[in-house]
Amino acid sequence: MRGFEVGAIEPWPATKDGTEDAVLDLEITTNRPDCLSVLGIAREVGTMYNTEISMPELASSDDFHGEAPLSITIDDPDWCPRYVGALADVEVGTSPQWLKTRLEAADVRPVNNVVDVTNYVMLEIGHPMHAFDHARLAGPEIRVRRAAHGERIRTLDGVERTLTPETLTIADAERPQAVAGVMGSATSEINDGTRTVVLEAAYFNPISVRRTSKRLSLTTDASYRFERGTDVSAPVTAIARALQLLTAIGAGQTRGPVVDCYPAPPDPIVVQLRHRRIGKLLGQNIEASFVRPTLARLGFTTEPEASTTDPVWRVTVPSFRVDVHREEDLIEELARHHGYDSLPATFPELTRPAPAPGTWRARDAAVRQLLTGCGFFEAITHGFIEIDAALAFHADQTDIVALSNPLSEKGAVLRPSLLPGLFDSLVHNRRRERQDIRLFEIGSRFRQRDGESPTLALVMTGAAVPPHWSENNRRTDFFDVTGVITRLCAGFGGTATFSPDTADALVPGRTARIGMMLGSKTHALGLVGQLDPTLATRRGLPGGDDVYVAEIDLRTLSLDVHKGFRAAPIPRHPSVTRDLSIEIDDALPAAQVRDTIRQAAGQSLINIREVARYQGAGVSAGAVSLSVRLTFRATEHTLTDVEVRTSTDRVVSALERAYHAKLR
Amino acid sequence: MTPQPDIDTTRKAFQADLAVVETEEGLQTVRDRYLSRKRGAIAALMKSMADADPVDRPALGKEANALKQEIEQAITEKREAITASTHPIGGIDVTLPGRELSFGRRHPLTLIREQVVSLFEAMGFEILQGPQGEDDYHNFEALNMPVDHPARDMQDTFYLEGSMPASDPSEPPATLLRTHTSGMQIRYMESHEPPVRIIAPGLVYRRDTPDLTHSPMFMQVEGLLVGEGITMADLKGTLVSFLRAFFDADTRVEFRPSFFPYTEPSAEVFISCVFCDGHGCAVCKETGWLEILGCGMVHPAVFEAVGYDPERYTGWAFGLGIDRVALLKYRVEDIRLFYSNDLRLLEQFPQ
Repeated sequence: MRGFEVGAIEPWPATKDGTEDAVLDLEITTNRPDCLSVLGIAREVGTMYNTEISMPELASSDDFHGEAPLSITIDDPDWCPRYVGALADVEVGTSPQWLKTRLEAADVRPVNNVVDVTNYVMLEIGHPMHAFDHARLAGPEIRVRRAAHGERIRTLDGVERTLTPETLTIADAERPQAVAGVMGSATSEINDGTRTVVLEAAYFNPISVRRTSKRLSLTTDASYRFERGTDVSAPVTAIARALQLLTAIGAGQTRGPVVDCYPAPPDPIVVQLRHRRIGKLLGQNIEASFVRPTLARLGFTTEPEASTTDPVWRVTVPSFRVDVHREEDLIEELARHHGYDSLPATFPELTRPAPAPGTWRARDAAVRQLLTGCGFFEAITHGFIEIDAALAFHADQTDIVALSNPLSEKGAVLRPSLLPGLFDSLVHNRRRERQDIRLFEIGSRFRQRDGESPTLALVMTGAAVPPHWSENNRRTDFFDVTGVITRLCAGFGGTATFSPDTADALVPGRTARIGMMLGSKTHALGLVGQLDPTLATRRGLPGGDDVYVAEIDLRTLSLDVHKGFRAAPIPRHPSVTRDLSIEIDDALPAAQVRDTIRQAAGQSLINIREVARYQGAGVSAGAVSLSVRLTFRATEHTLTDVEVRTSTDRVVSALERAYHAKLR
Repeated sequence: MTPQPDIDTTRKAFQADLAVVETEEGLQTVRDRYLSRKRGAIAALMKSMADADPVDRPALGKEANALKQEIEQAITEKREAITASTHPIGGIDVTLPGRELSFGRRHPLTLIREQVVSLFEAMGFEILQGPQGEDDYHNFEALNMPVDHPARDMQDTFYLEGSMPASDPSEPPATLLRTHTSGMQIRYMESHEPPVRIIAPGLVYRRDTPDLTHSPMFMQVEGLLVGEGITMADLKGTLVSFLRAFFDADTRVEFRPSFFPYTEPSAEVFISCVFCDGHGCAVCKETGWLEILGCGMVHPAVFEAVGYDPERYTGWAFGLGIDRVALLKYRVEDIRLFYSNDLRLLEQFPQ
């Protein structure tokens, strides 16, 4: 309905009395506190149907004569620019049925006739009110002041509260009798014995009420309205309406005039509205003849400015429209009531080409393509995790970023690594009959020292290849995960290297730092290894399967290699392969052996591959029989047997010299 | 001239011999009998031509050669037939499962995000990515949501204990988790003059208790277009065509007034319910409509915050929940499923 979503249409509570009325449940956006009332909605409906709304006839404050029965002092006019009070002699009892029914329709519980009237006025015109038991106040004096340090009040909900000077209170001569705009005191609560009441209708600063409500964790119908902004002009109307209702239902009589303490009434807001600007913003011409009547129905007064071909108006904003400050706000009013349906559908002109997409986009797409091709499913896990999970994978507590208001302990800190969450997802699946699981995630990790950084993580467990009836199923091991990393690096034009390292959560001796050789440079990518099985079990993994993981700093991967990339010519000369079998110390890293071979063989060696490793019968203890396949090729001629033999001889003697290796 | 009886006799004799051959060895015997250079029948035939009339010799030679080729081919064919019958390629059960290659899939939210983003990319939008840790200014203040603004309640926020350094050291440290990706739009406008045409997808956080339709982390995509003469009608045209391209060409789209602090006028966009085609069902609460995104004309206060002249430039922005769209498009019932990473869900999505 013109910007207020109809949440529900419910039957009127007392259907027995034959009424066919219904309750319209509207969702009021935060900018329209004026519509938290029947009057506000009536104004909207009146504009929709272009009809006058009728207001109850009220006595104006001038009609009340006599000596002021009440003294009002505002100590803090910033927080309370206006306070209106009145006295009424009352006979407390239950309200008439019609009043109770109307309150119930709005989900307000009837209490007694005096309180019901104040609530009714709030629902009707949108201005919250309060009533104090006059006899419980220390004299006929109202003082709007900040609480003193440590001053106490027991609010209507029965809670004893200690206040600070950040809280605005309504006090009598001695103590606070209400937390301004939020809730009254139990001391001066209206009860069956109440004979005289002080009625309050005030305007409180929205920010002050909002802060107090947040600080006390106390939201009431009144605070909800005050913090969104009430109508500074409404208090007198509210009091007059309340007094009129009290009289009408036989609940009370005014005693003396209304007291209005309003030290500095502000000037109304005046906004210039240009007809041309309406079309410029909406892309649709709204007739000038639509503008003035619509704004008038909504309570704005418009005066034409200097008559030009294109009309310009000076629009005075009514005080209840706290959301309207500038021209665009008025244009929205017009568009809203003119209807968005009538807006044409056009296309914005493209005036320049879109810049090339950021490099992250191609990078992430390539990572997804490469890893899904390796059997990994993409996961998305939460950015926050529990502290224990964070520390298990990243033990440095000073590097952890915590949330100050987490939903629960399960999400207390930002993840310093993607692995804890990804591992939890692996466990989730492992507990649901899955054994072969490969997951990856692209996301942010958060650390106190590095800040937020784009990260790739992967976890894998179970069969190394999809099970097939024709073969025995090999389990995933360390070399499966490094194989995946090798393919990933190849996809980015580089060659993966692995060197022994240690890391939190990973098995020592089964952990490696990942490097990527790209041209002459090696970039540090991240870590790979086997997850500590004790940790895995502790964090819920059933079955005791090995889990292999890797985490990579995505900033190190880039498809910029495409920029300088040139294809090499297809080799014109055949290559020659030779297999060498040597017996060598089994503690020697393969990478070191490879380096020695590479240096000894000379330029014609183009590839080294370990083809077999064997330990056992026929091999000395502490040694391994290693077979390597060497591929040689020269760019300018076909290699001769002699040339190849010279190279392999050099390799063998280098290995003998360096490692006492024996040719087998 | 009639063919020499010797040639015909040889052919017939060969055919008779070949017909009874069953083995590789037998075939070799037959081959030797006819094709052996020294003792073969063809060789004998060639020799006998010396006695023939010189006039007939060329024709006879041709005939003899043709026969030789005929015999060679017949022997080759016979050999293939014998090999095939003695070494048959056995049959197999072709219905047994093949060897699968490992195959993973992209996350459904990635799929939706890519679809959305590529539709806007085709309309000339630049795609941006920004940090999830944000400062108060970029997440709220520059978007016309000063401290103590009640609209902040619409986006209940996770705050960091203290702060976290920004990736760009010239930026203020992050103090909260972004509640929308709008901070990126502010950054972009701070460093670029109009025209602006950007789309920013990413994960955002709101302090909502998880349920079927709420997750404290979810994925959003926001768009922003600023220039001279940009109107709300342009916003409508762009979003209607996007929604029809994304959902269905017949999708009905309705713009309804709404409120966001950073746009004025603001709208919520509804599409005809994808479940019941607008007839009314439980998902659309019998209304026939589904709320799909929020949008509006950029508030002049936002332009002022980034130093754009609101008199000269106008623009619009929109925000779309990727999760919500994925729930609707894929008929998934619980938003939390997207973050449980259950393979039983993930493996269903075509790529």
